[in-house]
Amino acid sequence: MIEFHNVTKRYESGFEALKNVSMQLGDGQMAFITGHSGAGKSTLLKIIALIEKPTRGQALLNRINLNNVRRQRIPHLRRNIGIIFQDHQLLFDRTVFDNVALPLLIQGYRPQEIAKRTRAALDKVGLLHKEKSMPITLSGGEQQRVGIARAVVHKPMLLLADEPTGNLDPVLSREIMQIFVDFNRVGVTVLVASHDLRLIDELEMPRMTLNAGQLILNDLEPAADGDRFGSY
Amino acid sequence: MARTNVKRRRPPTANQVTAYLLHHLQSLLFSLRKIYQAPTTTIMTVAVIGITLSLPGGFYLFLKNIDAISGDFRSSTQISVYLDLKLNEKQARNLERQIADMDSVSGTRFISREQSLQDFRRDSGFGKSIDTLSSNPLPHTIVVEPGEIDTFAVRNLANSLQAMPGVKIAKLDTEWLERLYTIIEIARRSVVIITILFAFAVLLIIGNTIRLDIQNRYQEIIVTKLIGATDAFIRRPFLYGGVWYGLLGGIISWLIVEIGYLAISGPLERLNLLYKSDMNLITFSFQDFIILIAASTLLGLAGSWIAVARHLNQIEPT
Repeated sequence: MIEFHNVTKRYESGFEALKNVSMQLGDGQMAFITGHSGAGKSTLLKIIALIEKPTRGQALLNRINLNNVRRQRIPHLRRNIGIIFQDHQLLFDRTVFDNVALPLLIQGYRPQEIAKRTRAALDKVGLLHKEKSMPITLSGGEQQRVGIARAVVHKPMLLLADEPTGNLDPVLSREIMQIFVDFNRVGVTVLVASHDLRLIDELEMPRMTLNAGQLILNDLEPAADGDRFGSY
Repeated sequence: MARTNVKRRRPPTANQVTAYLLHHLQSLLFSLRKIYQAPTTTIMTVAVIGITLSLPGGFYLFLKNIDAISGDFRSSTQISVYLDLKLNEKQARNLERQIADMDSVSGTRFISREQSLQDFRRDSGFGKSIDTLSSNPLPHTIVVEPGEIDTFAVRNLANSLQAMPGVKIAKLDTEWLERLYTIIEIARRSVVIITILFAFAVLLIIGNTIRLDIQNRYQEIIVTKLIGATDAFIRRPFLYGGVWYGLLGGIISWLIVEIGYLAISGPLERLNLLYKSDMNLITFSFQDFIILIAASTLLGLAGSWIAVARHLNQIEPT
């Protein structure tokens, strides 16, 4: 699903967020990325989500080279990904239902289909009874669950989550992580950036640890030799 | 039964054309709701557009009325041909027939000396003094209606009438008309300039409103981009927003002009009575109305397009 070959990301300021990172996440796998803040977790996710481009090395998503994707193609590639943000990024001017339905709307689903799938996604995160509420009236945990419902409503192949439990108490965090595990069980590839080490230990999932932009620990099988793809 | 089978096999996404139309409809309704949800902004923007457009609209109507009035003058251009006093009535009638046969003449009217005298006696109030005259001092007169109303052609006709034997004076009084037409032409061009300037103003107003709208919804744009929205998808509600502003502004400007004309119609009617004229105030025709609304709607679309093209591409998730 995801392959990184000697990926280096240097920002315009000169800061190197990722240094020569190689890794591989297979279809249907689930893994955590850990590390201190500023270790490069977010940058790694941003490269996968086509928000940033690698400065050097190659990043592949479904065998598509992310280094040279045309601007017009980016939206279509992003539709394969569900992204969950730390601050859930809900739109506060519309109902929970409309928030969750947005990816389907964008992809041109038929209205009946939108209603059906949106309700199914809300049901999965246990918020079907809140579909008509405005996001502002929900608790932090509920808002995050709405964010998850929006990320999975279009059945993406890959779920990316950046510190999804950052603002939640331990009980809620466990609940949220369990939702990810459930999705992984039905075949979705999941990559979660988190520094909640205790919770990750509990879940016994493969882990990659970044430190100052370098991958210092990788439970996953290593990526194929970068030279084979010709790093540049 | 067959129907349910077909239904089951249908893909979850609508076909491209349907999806496209569906999103247009959704954007249309969404932008309408946005406008409705922010009534203050909407009213202010729409009012500014309406007032701005009412100026060229009002001038246009003013010009249209002037045109209608001056058109009456134009069609009433006449040449009075005063004949030699030596001509008797039969000779004069012959001359009239001769003039009436000319290509550049559409009609003639003969006023005999006697008729002229009677008219004069009746209209002037000098009846008594005229009776003291030993002979009728007035000539036979032929009133000539030119075939063409072009000033140059009319003047040519007057010259050739003047040159005819038996004609004393061929009198054409058009100088004041020409002055009027020149003034109208100046006004017409001013209206064109004003219209262009104010159209630009509307473009800027709408562009700026949409720009603020884009800034206000910065976060929303980023989120929808991350979810996989195309630029066209994100652009659409803003473009519809501009269309609504233009459409509503156009309607407001129409109302302003109509109310303005209603306000001056009272004194104008009194003026009509005083002059015993039957000139009627012309307001917007249905066609004018459609053109005004269409133009302001197009300006709205263009203004929002400019704003969207300038600002939307700059917003990328980081």
